Amino acid sequence: MNFKFKEVYVFSLAAALPIFIFSYALFGITGIRVVLGIIFVSFPFYVLLNRLELAEGEKFVFSALLGLTALPSLAYILGFLIPFRMAIAASFITLISIAVLFVKCKNSRKEN
Amino acid sequence: MKLNKNHIQTLAFIALYLFAIYFWTQPLQRKLPYGEYDAMSHFEVADYIAYNDKSFMQLPPYIDLRYGLDNRFMPHTLWYPPTFHASLAVAEVFGGDRVIPIFLLNAIMASFILITVYFVINSLFGFLPAILSALLLVFSPRDFMPYLWGQWPERFAYALIPIILYCFYRYFIGYSKENNNPKYLYLSALFLGIIILAHPLAFFHSAAGLLILYVFLALKQKKLAFNLKHALASAAIFLTLFFIFPYQTFNILPQIAGGADESLKQFDLSRIFQWSLDPKDYAGSVPQSYFSFGDMHGLWTLPFLIIGILTLAWRREERDIFMLAWLVSLYLVLHRDIAGKASFLHRSLSASAHIFAPLTAIGAVYLASFIKLPSSFSKWLKYGIAAVFVFLIFSVNMANASKTLNKDTYNDFFSALNGEEYRAAQWSLENIPSSANITILGIPHQEQFQSATSKKIRWFAAVSQHVTRFYYLREDKEELLKSKEWYIMLDYTMLGPLNDKKTFDEMQEFERTKLTNHALVYDKGGIRVYKP
Repeated sequence: MNFKFKEVYVFSLAAALPIFIFSYALFGITGIRVVLGIIFVSFPFYVLLNRLELAEGEKFVFSALLGLTALPSLAYILGFLIPFRMAIAASFITLISIAVLFVKCKNSRKEN
Repeated sequence: MKLNKNHIQTLAFIALYLFAIYFWTQPLQRKLPYGEYDAMSHFEVADYIAYNDKSFMQLPPYIDLRYGLDNRFMPHTLWYPPTFHASLAVAEVFGGDRVIPIFLLNAIMASFILITVYFVINSLFGFLPAILSALLLVFSPRDFMPYLWGQWPERFAYALIPIILYCFYRYFIGYSKENNNPKYLYLSALFLGIIILAHPLAFFHSAAGLLILYVFLALKQKKLAFNLKHALASAAIFLTLFFIFPYQTFNILPQIAGGADESLKQFDLSRIFQWSLDPKDYAGSVPQSYFSFGDMHGLWTLPFLIIGILTLAWRREERDIFMLAWLVSLYLVLHRDIAGKASFLHRSLSASAHIFAPLTAIGAVYLASFIKLPSSFSKWLKYGIAAVFVFLIFSVNMANASKTLNKDTYNDFFSALNGEEYRAAQWSLENIPSSANITILGIPHQEQFQSATSKKIRWFAAVSQHVTRFYYLREDKEELLKSKEWYIMLDYTMLGPLNDKKTFDEMQEFERTKLTNHALVYDKGGIRVYKP
């Protein structure tokens, strides 16, 4: 993990703290759970976009937008076959697998 | 880790955004659902998915009753792609509650325009215009009013427009025959596909924006950025998303194919010189103030807005062209009635602040540079103007916004559910078979109350997930009392505050005489439910 990468993570955690406190103060544990949900749906796209040489702000905004739209859409489609809650988990696993494969592919191409 | 300038700026924006969420969610402090009919429909769809833990093709009866024919391509199915609603449903699953997660995530998604405008303006013009734009948008009535009314997916869709234009701008600027990395073009296509799943109106707006931006940048840079391979791959990305929910995306076609609107017949050339619309055309559905620049943006912003536009038009750097293309595309979308397409025209007006706010902030920030001063003075003057700008936002725009958006917004005795009604609706959901319907006595049904109390009935249907009707407005009252499909609810909660002894006595008599063959199954907080 390089220095810049580490710095982004430390700062993200520090920035998340006031968001969690605010959410709890206003809406209790439900507020925190909603924020965690947004992080959950955005995470696979952040992993994916992290390899695209985008600015940090671009990665955050784009992954949040994709997380709020693409993952729920996939979950909705899978929701015709399995329960919606399971479909959310399945969508997350599918997308994170795609992201990891993409990262591995990029890394091996770089090494070659 | 040492805090640098970027970190501090990001923290400042987070603080601003959290304040925006606080401000926009004030009506949610009651922790009860609120909003107009559109809000109910979006809540119903999202809540149905999450609560029943399944996706659905055919609309459930309590939604179908009103929206069954809204999808003209495939009646009795969702009239919008489920993308937005599935997102709210995911929030409900994570939040573990039916009301707060949906309304909180909706507030986040409706105010996402603050994030995208801040991000785009910060990337192109720097922190100060970006944060001032975002602050101005917090109090933009053309944003929070439709959000309150229930135009939820549309609010979120508008947040994607600056991102689509920004990605395309990055692609065009970085394009050359030798080095043409298509990632930004693919991202444009991806977000363009997503915007059509969010709301078609915003899709047409962004398509117009892309066209204008392309033409403007091509003229400015005297180059045509076109690569067939990239174009085909982008088209494939867009079409994949377009065909994901065909029943819903094809619903756009009958709307486009619809005949010329009435307004075409009344076309007036002076419209070309007007930004806003005639409030008289929307009397009864949209308040007059919605069409007033002063009420929506604050008249004090006008000089800054003009300075902003003139500065960019005079300078015409690539980033200035980006802003001007965005402005021109909104102008074209707002004047589509000239081409005979006037439906939902007022809704396009709601995108005004998204471009006006940054132009106004740019005007204010660049104002100092017009005055010849030593650089240190010029810097102080810039911050001085920004301070005045912030003061005016809080003293004028926030004060104005607080009149509409506050803790008592939709805390309405007649139209919103009270705590007892919400609990009875929740009980009905858990205990009444999904095939049964509910009819209600006690909620005022008389003509003078009906426009408000119909909303209460609809909210009851949304929370209980059952078809719910006024008993007194039914023509089949006798059959209904004999039917095994109709539960009877007597709501005494409103009669006390209304001092309506007559209805109280009638309902008591009704219970004694008409419900002898029914069983009392719920009796809490002044609400009784009888099972047939």
